[in-house]
Amino acid sequence: MATEYIHPIRNVRYLRPQREWKEIIAIYLYLAGMGAGSYVIGTLLNWFVHPTRVLSIWGLPLDFAKAAILWGPILVAIGAPFLIIDLGIKRRFLYACLNPRTSWVARGFLILSIFIVFGLILLAKSVLPFEWLHAESTFWTIAEVITIAFAFATALYTGILLKATKSIPLWNTYLLPLLFLVSALSTGSMAIILSTLGTGLLSNDSGALKLLMRGEQIFVVIEGIVLYLFLFKRYRAAEQGKDSVRLLLSGEMKLIFWGGIVLLGFVFPMILEGIASFSHGNVTLIFTAGLLLLCGGFFLRLGVLHAGIKDQLPMLRLMEIQYDNMAERWKPLSDNRREATGNTK
Amino acid sequence: MEDQQKVLVVDHEKCTGCRLCELVCSVHHTGSSNPSRARIKVVKWEHVGIYLPMICNHCEKAYCVEVCPTKACHREPDNNNRVVIDKNLCIGCRTCIVACPFGHPFFDVQERVTVKCDFCDGDPKCVTFCDPKAVTYVDADMIQVAKKREAANKFIDSTKQIR
Repeated sequence: MATEYIHPIRNVRYLRPQREWKEIIAIYLYLAGMGAGSYVIGTLLNWFVHPTRVLSIWGLPLDFAKAAILWGPILVAIGAPFLIIDLGIKRRFLYACLNPRTSWVARGFLILSIFIVFGLILLAKSVLPFEWLHAESTFWTIAEVITIAFAFATALYTGILLKATKSIPLWNTYLLPLLFLVSALSTGSMAIILSTLGTGLLSNDSGALKLLMRGEQIFVVIEGIVLYLFLFKRYRAAEQGKDSVRLLLSGEMKLIFWGGIVLLGFVFPMILEGIASFSHGNVTLIFTAGLLLLCGGFFLRLGVLHAGIKDQLPMLRLMEIQYDNMAERWKPLSDNRREATGNTK
Repeated sequence: MEDQQKVLVVDHEKCTGCRLCELVCSVHHTGSSNPSRARIKVVKWEHVGIYLPMICNHCEKAYCVEVCPTKACHREPDNNNRVVIDKNLCIGCRTCIVACPFGHPFFDVQERVTVKCDFCDGDPKCVTFCDPKAVTYVDADMIQVAKKREAANKFIDSTKQIR
């Protein structure tokens, strides 16, 4: 089989992705997305199903059902410090909100902060048993609507953060925020399914669980379609976009893509959930499918992050053209030498 | 009269790949002779003999300024319209490095902040110490003049050969 020709100049940076943002940022993107997605699904469940399961701890009645479906802000609050860990000077993290006019990092700092604060207040309000907190008022309704809007913004922001850097063709598309949003909703709904099953809130044949699982399966299918469109469009977008997609599909990232994203994130969960639906909602199968899907969500962020290759510099392009011209001029000389030495390779 | 804006210009055909510019840059900015902390990088293709000093272009529409969350990376219109990073504001998030299409700002592992070329406050050391004059510091309006002069000289040489 003929080996692929690699340009001698281009060779030095052939398929070399960015290495500034690594696993820590992937964990941050993943937890922020999953937390925001689970909050959206949990709030919708709370509005339409009203699950409640009060348990007494040290004489204090706590509503565990609300805790299990509204725990999204806790996940985001766990994820946010990962961004701080990645900073060069961690103690200056509060400076990160000084330029919201143009910087998406600064806007994200504000979006996440508002979501975490409002989300935790609403979680505390729902879980704690104080009567005065539970008064149905317009204030709480407005707070819930604001929080759900910021949850959507958080899920979208994880994609916009990458898109805003512009110089990496793989990320520079509106399909990336959409992909991360759908992934946030699928992993978020799976996180709710796991937490409600774990706390025994929903029995494995209840209508609410079936509805949640149906929704999660639809999100996974949409995610698969968006992922296909994302890769298809990026492959045709620019030379480096093509390189990035090749890196994922057949390069050094192929194990993460085919093993982590496709098998763990799409194929295995769908098969296991299909088997579980025939065996009257086998909890072990649903748990396994859920954990695999959550792993797939993480690998999706990791893969997209690690496959980002920068656009070609105009100066490097000039170098390539000059080298080609030079090689063209030297070609007769090198051919003559090959003939003289008898080397026909 | 207002000062003419000056820029760094690279002629890669003159560069010998000695990397003295990286050395003097690091000595001037950090006090250590450590090229990995320099604000200029020479990209080398040894097997084909091409060397390309990579410098900051202080772009008109600078992505690094746009994406910086702290305004540490900012433009100084009164100081040669240069783009600089305020070390006291930088948090080391490296967003500017990811955003720059020219791969310019560099992360200083010792200071834990991002650093970039600041024209050495009007006296670029890479220019002073570059013997082949591969890096020059010229008025922005004069960039094309040198190239035109070179082209004219080549034209004169070729006409002489024809004669």
